[in-house]
Amino acid sequence: MRRPAILVTLALLALIGAVGLAQRPGAGEAARTARPGSAAFAVSGAEPAALVDFDNDLIPVFTSAGCNSGACHGSAAGRGGFKLSLYGGDPLADYDAIVRQLSGRRVNLVQPDQSLLLLKPTAAISHGGRQALPPDSEGAGLLREWIAQGAPYVTHRQLARVEVTPARHFAETPGVAVSLRATAHYDDGTTRDVTRWTMFTPEDSSAVTIDRQTATAEMQRRGRHNVSARYLDQVVPIQLIVPLRDAAVDLSAEVRRNFIDDEILRTLADLRLPVSPPAGDAAFLRRVTLDLTGRLPQSKRVETWLAGGGDLGREALVDELLASDAFTEFWTLKLATLLRIRSQQDKAVLTITPEAARVYHEWLAGRIRERVGYDDLVRELILAEGDSRVFGPATFYRTTEDPMAQTEFVSELFMGARIRCANCHNHPLDRWTQDDYHGLTAIFATVGREPVVRANPVGRTIHPVTGEPARLRLPGAPTPLDPALDARAAFADWLTDPENPYFAKAIVNRLWKAMMGRGLVEPVDDFRATNPASHPALLTRLADDFVEHGYDLRHTLKRIAVSAAYARGAETTAENAADDRYYSHALRRPLEPEVLADAISDVIGVPGRYGSEPIGTRAVALYDASIVSDALDILGRCGRQASCESGPPAVGALPRKLHLFNGELLNERLAAPGSRLGALLAAGEPPLDIVQAFYVAALGRHPTAGEQQFWRRQLAGGASRAVLEDFVWGLLSGSEFQTNH
Amino acid sequence: MTLHRRCDGVARRDFLRVGGLTALGFGLGDYFAAQRVFAARGLQGGAPAPTAKACILVWLDGGPSHLETFDPKPEAPSEIRGPFGTIATTLPGVHISEHLHRTAAMLDKVAIVRSLTSPFGVHNFAIQYVMTGHRPTPALEYPTFGATLAHVRGARGVLPPNVAIPDLVSRDRASLGSGFLPGATSPFEIGSDPGKRDFKVRDLDFYQGLDLPRLDRRREFVNALDAFSRAKDAAGSTGDPDLERAYNLIASPDAKAAFDLSEEPPAVRERYSVDPRAQIDDSNNIGQQCLLARRLVERGVPFVTVNNTGWDNHTNLMLYKDRHPGTPDTHAHIPALDQAFSALVGDLSDRGLLEETLVVVMGEFGRTPKINSNGGRDHWPNCFSAALVGGGVQGGQVIGSSDALGEFPTDRPVTPSDLAATIYTLLGIDPALELHTKDGRPIRVTPHDAAVIPELLGA
Repeated sequence: MRRPAILVTLALLALIGAVGLAQRPGAGEAARTARPGSAAFAVSGAEPAALVDFDNDLIPVFTSAGCNSGACHGSAAGRGGFKLSLYGGDPLADYDAIVRQLSGRRVNLVQPDQSLLLLKPTAAISHGGRQALPPDSEGAGLLREWIAQGAPYVTHRQLARVEVTPARHFAETPGVAVSLRATAHYDDGTTRDVTRWTMFTPEDSSAVTIDRQTATAEMQRRGRHNVSARYLDQVVPIQLIVPLRDAAVDLSAEVRRNFIDDEILRTLADLRLPVSPPAGDAAFLRRVTLDLTGRLPQSKRVETWLAGGGDLGREALVDELLASDAFTEFWTLKLATLLRIRSQQDKAVLTITPEAARVYHEWLAGRIRERVGYDDLVRELILAEGDSRVFGPATFYRTTEDPMAQTEFVSELFMGARIRCANCHNHPLDRWTQDDYHGLTAIFATVGREPVVRANPVGRTIHPVTGEPARLRLPGAPTPLDPALDARAAFADWLTDPENPYFAKAIVNRLWKAMMGRGLVEPVDDFRATNPASHPALLTRLADDFVEHGYDLRHTLKRIAVSAAYARGAETTAENAADDRYYSHALRRPLEPEVLADAISDVIGVPGRYGSEPIGTRAVALYDASIVSDALDILGRCGRQASCESGPPAVGALPRKLHLFNGELLNERLAAPGSRLGALLAAGEPPLDIVQAFYVAALGRHPTAGEQQFWRRQLAGGASRAVLEDFVWGLLSGSEFQTNH
Repeated sequence: MTLHRRCDGVARRDFLRVGGLTALGFGLGDYFAAQRVFAARGLQGGAPAPTAKACILVWLDGGPSHLETFDPKPEAPSEIRGPFGTIATTLPGVHISEHLHRTAAMLDKVAIVRSLTSPFGVHNFAIQYVMTGHRPTPALEYPTFGATLAHVRGARGVLPPNVAIPDLVSRDRASLGSGFLPGATSPFEIGSDPGKRDFKVRDLDFYQGLDLPRLDRRREFVNALDAFSRAKDAAGSTGDPDLERAYNLIASPDAKAAFDLSEEPPAVRERYSVDPRAQIDDSNNIGQQCLLARRLVERGVPFVTVNNTGWDNHTNLMLYKDRHPGTPDTHAHIPALDQAFSALVGDLSDRGLLEETLVVVMGEFGRTPKINSNGGRDHWPNCFSAALVGGGVQGGQVIGSSDALGEFPTDRPVTPSDLAATIYTLLGIDPALELHTKDGRPIRVTPHDAAVIPELLGA
């Protein structure tokens, strides 16, 4: 039990007027339970301005001077024996550190100027952080005044929100200074200009410079830049835009198929970024077939499509692909990777048998085939119980080693939020607190991890601050759950509620990335105020549209697939070549390892071998990432032990290229009997026709006149099989084949 | 402690990773900047200028027992002391394990640090800390020594600047060691064991039926295809720098020869490990791995990791010395290390390369001083040892000491950050040098609180 050091002061204050326990939203469970019985006061009736408000006046001094940053006293271990909560997230702990620790030597109530709290930051005595506060600064003055008042813990009002102006600023040229202003709005209706206590941090400090004295931002180069404004625990994004060119770009004639195009074109117009011409029919067919089914379009399909006959158009093509078995197979792989479906037999971890992985994978494939809504699918996972060897989704609770790991897995996957930092301290860049982390962990502790997954109502997890069992709590909820409720059902209800702010956005952002090559939020599992979406309105509209249409994955994929933005060409123009996030052109992206392995097999005409699976099994259909395959290993498949969502596979580029030259992946099958090349040669096809056939099979297009000329020259004087093998090798090693574009 | 394990850092592959497919982003700008900063700051205390051109990290993966190697406790009770005796060394008053007698004979050249201390008792976090000098954090993945060196020095010649024999670290496949630096700085993992009779670097030799003219043609074809396919793109074709590096490696007889241990006279091969062709068990070939490292360093490779696995011995300490009771086992971990380490130092010295080649021997942590019920030792990061020699290291000294039981440092505690700052300094890289993440964040090579160990520099 803590005892305030200044009980007398507090006791006197208590007599002054009506007293109530201040309840600050966001204050930790730990802080609340550890709160001294009457330490926090809302003082009314008294003259509030007379007493320095610890939460609202003093903490901002520490934050704006950098005292409580991660590099100084805000680090997990503190610094120089003095620890403050990160960015003042826990004022009561800070109060304790300042007033009580070090035998109270940090404050000298008799001689305020002799307080370490003043001597150190003003560098009157040696301070590792040198002079953080000039002695005559307003911050130092506030500290002095507060100590002179007896260093009480007083707070008059609670911060409701911070408003920053401008939230968005548009300038014609770089070099323009923008004055920033932050206003705090309190729960009692009052407001205050807190600009000088607000930290303005540019996402890219070489793009925007901030003058702290005058609170102005200066854009150093063209483009759209983000600045985050932090005041206490509130973070507000600011967008600063300098168009990329002087002359406006007229995009009014661009095709708009749905709201996606409205949003994309609006940003492009703001930035004056011209778009690339639409992709041709061949490029569109290959792109959309790969994106929706993970396969190359078959040669026959390419030929009829290019001939313009037999096909109704792009929308009909999209519908056909979405209805195909190949779609189910490929999107099962995508979700199985997200869900980390795998077998594992290592003694050090939970055993998941190949059979369990297979039934889980089959369950998932069935759900996708039957077009079950994503909300229902996730709900089934969260509520799953039963024998994981026969009931697939039960393995969901055996995906990770313990409830904490499950919390991190679930929050990253279904909420797009990395709340793992909040295990040890409130998230420095986001709203997540330790209570959120351990509250969700407590929910996952109520289910066992035996092969037969059962509810375990007595399962507990310890909150590291209290040392007591953590209380069940939904993420972001101000109060714990009623222990009598079914906690997992409560979590499932909360997560899949149409009003949930995370769930739909997290999945539509991943769908967008799968189709467009880059998430609107990147990384896709790192949603937070300090990492704003490239197109916030588009993300919201996609999520709303997804919810309105029954959480139907195919619906949103179709929305994207039929948009003009999706159909833009990958060829850049001189003006938009540098664009990697505004979708002025299609992004080239490497084929996923399984897709590439299948594509190689399909073009060569000889299937790959995967463990003891039947010959002809496609790599995208493998239910378990531990099925033996050198090819998939060298291509860098996800082992599904962890998220593989960002970054290239963990295979060095050099060994992979050495393998292309000298390894089995291509060489073994190029010369194998029964290959496409062998069949074409056996049929007596002329070499140039063989070249054309491979172009169609691998690239989904015919060779250009220039290419035909090149190959004619190469193949002149008798094309040996070796030359043609080398041609096929080059085709399969080239970037056009190995990417979707 | 377990409550904090994930905040202390978790091996996520997706921290901040730079695309491995980008062009060789070797920042010569960074290199020159490093030299300027370094010259301007100078080394405190008048230490000699760094001389190391290259570094061989002999990594004892799994965590070697400090009590069975460089920090024995002969006076301690038997459950601490362990089964092995100690021997005197060429350094008066200093004893090490009796099974390191060759090392003992050259200890006047070697510096031992006996007071390393780290908070991480789980392999992957511990490895990240010791191999990068930064405490692991979920916010950023840091580059290992080799990646930093590759980045700052840049690639010279055909051989990759950062090589791992046979691979980087088996336990943490999530990371290839380049951290936030370009993927091309990650180590080239040769993928096979030079101690094996049929040793070959994977995919370096022509596939059956192929030869250089055919590879030339294939390279010409793929470059032509790339150029055609990007003809209409304003960005044009950048080619494929990794493919080019791979081709150059295959096409260069000199590069291939660098990996060819059969060029070494039998006497040299046997110096590193007893009769490499007559192995009892080919699982531990640290000797031939060190020999290959020497060949690479000799040819200008700045950083080579010899990854010697199998030190995570929880069960029977005797296995460190003798896995087949009754027959002498020169391939057991400690005798094999002794021979390999002494041969490497002796060979480098004979060739005049020791002054410019830093050799570091260490693992991610030590072992519990108290022997467990299986006759082994468990993880113990609170106190462990490292050995450094060559490359400007002031040899013939023991830095720091552990307490009577080898549990904690008694004086001069050294963190992996401090050791990293020292290693970088020896290699001519200012520990305060700032590298940049993809999004432009400046990140110091070592953290702010990393302090160079002046004794190691002879300062």
